[in-house]
Amino acid sequence: MSSIRVEQLGKAFRIKKKQEGFAGSFKSLLKPLYEDKTAVDGITFSARQGETVAFLGPNGAGKSTTIKMLTGILHPTIGFAEVLGCCPWTERTKLSYRIGSVFGQKSQLWYHLPPIDTFELMSRIYELRRSDYLQRRDEMIERFELAPYMNTPVRKLSLGERMRCEIAASLLHRPQVLFLDEPTIGLDVVVKQRIRRLIHELNEQEGTTVFLTSHDAGDIEQLCERAIVINYGRIVFDDRVELMKLRYMTHKTIRLVVADDPGDMDIPGATVVERSETKVVLSVDTSLTTIEAALTNVMSSRRIIDVTIEDPPMEEIITRMYGDFGEEDCSS
Amino acid sequence: MSTEDRTNSASYYSITEHDQPGKLRRQLSFVLRSWTLNLAGAMEFRLSFLLTAGMMMINNIVWIVFWGLYFNRFQVLNGWELHDVMMLWAVSAGGFGLMATFFGNASRIANIIATGQLDVYLAQPKPVLLHVLISRMSVSAIGDVLFALLVFAIFGDKSAAGIAKFGLAMAIAAVIFIFFSVIVNCLAFWVGNTEGLSIQLFNALLTFTTYPTSIFKSWGKLVLFAVIPAGFISYLPIGLLREINLPFLIGALAVSALFVACGTLLFYRGLKRYTSGNMMTLRR
Repeated sequence: MSSIRVEQLGKAFRIKKKQEGFAGSFKSLLKPLYEDKTAVDGITFSARQGETVAFLGPNGAGKSTTIKMLTGILHPTIGFAEVLGCCPWTERTKLSYRIGSVFGQKSQLWYHLPPIDTFELMSRIYELRRSDYLQRRDEMIERFELAPYMNTPVRKLSLGERMRCEIAASLLHRPQVLFLDEPTIGLDVVVKQRIRRLIHELNEQEGTTVFLTSHDAGDIEQLCERAIVINYGRIVFDDRVELMKLRYMTHKTIRLVVADDPGDMDIPGATVVERSETKVVLSVDTSLTTIEAALTNVMSSRRIIDVTIEDPPMEEIITRMYGDFGEEDCSS
Repeated sequence: MSTEDRTNSASYYSITEHDQPGKLRRQLSFVLRSWTLNLAGAMEFRLSFLLTAGMMMINNIVWIVFWGLYFNRFQVLNGWELHDVMMLWAVSAGGFGLMATFFGNASRIANIIATGQLDVYLAQPKPVLLHVLISRMSVSAIGDVLFALLVFAIFGDKSAAGIAKFGLAMAIAAVIFIFFSVIVNCLAFWVGNTEGLSIQLFNALLTFTTYPTSIFKSWGKLVLFAVIPAGFISYLPIGLLREINLPFLIGALAVSALFVACGTLLFYRGLKRYTSGNMMTLRR
């Protein structure tokens, strides 16, 4: 069963263009110039209940605009969308009882008050049954380990603590679909790990559909089974995360331990990334050569003690992917 | 575990009772909780809270002293006596105070729209306009409400009917203030950040509500009742509190209802044009 269904969804904004400096501002005041910018250009996809989808793309690709349309915040220019059987922008209120959203840059916690007060208000906003709310609140506090911060004003919490409270608050009403817009932005590695684990558990145990935008490779690799990549408002990839890795993984890393100083190495299709006395790290472009050919080349002149072949980290894949988009745009 | 397994194993049950009877009670509970939290947030900074509210009372008292001096020399101003002017100040400051205390975001809607801060309200299942309005409390405005009550306690008619009439006058003033503000702030949906313009228009209304209507003649009076609705507030001490002038009272109630309808309609029409934004925001 589809929990999210999107057909030819598009959104264009009218943006005022201004030339540089004060003269430009004055000119713009007398004769403003506008430009239509298409943020989302007729995208189509669907997601099943319980699926974890990463919605990726470079800055300005249209990710946040899409999430805002799917949560009913923005009205589209064209197209159709359905989340849990509701049209987000015409049935926004009905839908919002069943979905949760976390916008990494927009807090729903009251800044001067402790999270426990916001939680209490959330129970009124979502009209939760008192006994169920108390049980759910305690469960969230335990699961997200929030007990030490519940009575501290939000302004005194660290970013990581605040984000955990933020996600817990958005889960209080047991949403069936959770939209996360860059939930780990600005967090340290440990906190990121913890938040990923919690979202993963939630998906496993409650079957919550997770729709996530992020620039963080770890979020995608550890949380999501499917990736939708958007660029300039259009979907350019929609498949399993594993397949995305394969498609954009044109390089492999070979770590070598050699018996003697390896000296200068000139291997066609491979570049030396790192070199010390007996250790060498090579990046092999598999579209130009094979791993076997590269290793044969090394072994012909050097004695190898140990060898490890690795896939590049997700971070590198995303960097390459976004780079490719840039080149495609330049060539077109 | 596959997606199918997760979907099947997870027994979804709703813990919200939004589709059950008792909607109004739950809506009221939400509004009351928001106001309580606003006050709690304001009281986080105890000294600042007391000073801000106290300073606003002193600020208003200065005007009362000014009018006191005037009426000490001239007993009547075009039919208005000291008592009427005091009640004018009580109604105007009280109405404004109610707006800014309980619906404190009314004058900030243009900024909220222009900076994309509506996102949080739109993502939650409550009437957006109501939710926005009640999500802020102006501490200084508490001083205005206390000032209004103090002036009423000194100069007002403390009979049951007098208290009811004063309550009604403050309510009419508050409704006109709130929805005039909503209307001028909603311009931001169509013409960008109109924060400055909205403040100017609202201040024009507020200023004219603190002068007796009798000092304005012909065109001035027309503007006061037809362009900016200040006349429907500033005539309340005569047309409702001194003696009930039925055509005026019906007119004031009708204008209030009209403003509520226009403000609400305009806001929800404008939401369709809302463009959000990427500014980092926190609820304060």
